[in-house]
Amino acid sequence: MTAVSGIEEVGNATRTTFFQLDDDWRQATGKDVSIAVIDSGIDTSHPELAGKVVDSVEARVDHKKVVFVPSDSGDSAGHGTACAGIITRIAPDAKLYSIKVLGAGGIGDGLAFLAGLEWAIKQRYRVINLSLGTTKPQFFAPLHDLLDRAYQAGCIVVAAANNLPQPSFPSVFSSSLISVIKSEETDPLNFGFRYGEVIELTAPGVNVRTAWPGGGFRNLTGNSFACPHIVGVIALLLEKHPDFTPFHVKSALYSIAQENLDNIRSESARSSSEGAAGRPTQ
Amino acid sequence: MLEPYDDGTAEKIRHLIQTLDIANVLTEPLARSIDALLRVTAADIGSEAASVLIRDGDAGDLRFLSAIGTVSERLAGIRIPAGKGIAGFVMSSGQPIAVANVEEQSAFYPEVDKATGYSTEMILATPLRHSSEIIGVLEYINRAGDGPKTPFTPDEMDRAGRFAEAIASLVNAYESAKLFRDLDSHFIDSRGDFALEEIRQWVTELRTGAEHREMMELAVMLRELSGRGESERHLVRSVLEALLRYTDNRNSSSFLSLDDLS
Repeated sequence: MTAVSGIEEVGNATRTTFFQLDDDWRQATGKDVSIAVIDSGIDTSHPELAGKVVDSVEARVDHKKVVFVPSDSGDSAGHGTACAGIITRIAPDAKLYSIKVLGAGGIGDGLAFLAGLEWAIKQRYRVINLSLGTTKPQFFAPLHDLLDRAYQAGCIVVAAANNLPQPSFPSVFSSSLISVIKSEETDPLNFGFRYGEVIELTAPGVNVRTAWPGGGFRNLTGNSFACPHIVGVIALLLEKHPDFTPFHVKSALYSIAQENLDNIRSESARSSSEGAAGRPTQ
Repeated sequence: MLEPYDDGTAEKIRHLIQTLDIANVLTEPLARSIDALLRVTAADIGSEAASVLIRDGDAGDLRFLSAIGTVSERLAGIRIPAGKGIAGFVMSSGQPIAVANVEEQSAFYPEVDKATGYSTEMILATPLRHSSEIIGVLEYINRAGDGPKTPFTPDEMDRAGRFAEAIASLVNAYESAKLFRDLDSHFIDSRGDFALEEIRQWVTELRTGAEHREMMELAVMLRELSGRGESERHLVRSVLEALLRYTDNRNSSSFLSLDDLS
């Protein structure tokens, strides 16, 4: 049981409330939670992903507009398949939707990526895995607008942080989305929350073994592999609490991460006291 | 004021410039510096090979600019279509990633290995940035030496990101120098006449990055306008000054300074 803090609207005022989060989400499988993977496509024939990808679309240009058409071109880079593999290991019964914006050809990267995000919001997918980003200032305002729309529509956008010298969008927009940076942790449920930091969450992202196009596996390192870990955890939460808003989800993640931290601290305190007890005395 | 030459001296000077191959004076030291940096940084990271890929055209295609390792010469001219393979992903996403093929033998973007005969087992790839643009990708390939083939680490990824900053500056300088070199050869070929129409056409057909091409287009446009007379020069100048003031103000009044967030 996790105590989650929240804010409730009462008339025109707000008040702080608390709710108890049962631990049953830890046994959940992400059943019926829809997840969009905006990426390089997904290899739907990979044994780990068989039957998990409900629909695949890809970006095309039609009369100078980006449209989405059914896609059977699979994954052009491997990245989308890798992310899908990570998500389904945590949430095996989630419904994946592949939105291919990379390798679709002929469209400026930033534009295709914005269009993909807009498409996902219009379809009202509950969770959106966004391992992509842009540093181009001209996308700042449109991305901000789209993320606000996602927030209002109840879509939870999870973005990979870009740990390069320059800030990248959208991962620096901390209010309306969840951004994730890699840690060396291996247990997907043992993620961290760094309240007050621009990039709030930490999740496994080092040497992660996951699916790769062609039926095999690869070991991968990068923030963009930390992101799908949090997406998977959110799918578990949403299966048990389908009415959670992005705000609830963030609060729940924060509280669970606090609990993870407390467990680590008490574990290390216990092991050090055991170590002290077991030390030979003179 | 100097009198115009009438004894063919101008033609001789032009010929001399061509002979000196001024073009390579500009670009070659930069190309050599990129190679040298690749070599030093690959040794630091502990990789067997390394390469720099740069954007080729607007769609995000990549081509090899520079490479070190056993098959480096075979990489010249190979292009990777937008969004394909690890390099294509890093170019499009701006995300550094490391991939290790620890369990089986199968290629990454098989076309490159097929063309070179090399076997890629591990890649550490990070974007090359100039200003807010991604201009290419820096790749370190396979572990060097006969020891255990340990995957690239997060620390090596961070170091590669710092190397990418230095290499990106050189790549940017190289690309700019190459453009001026090519423009220069156009001027020489057209026997001193400013065949602006022809040059403009050439600029629009360049497969170089947008920021370099746009800079060149601006330079050609300015050259053309300033050649039209004094009043045009004054007009261009005042318009540009107003534009500079406007963009200065806009940047300083932004409600959110991104520097605060980094």
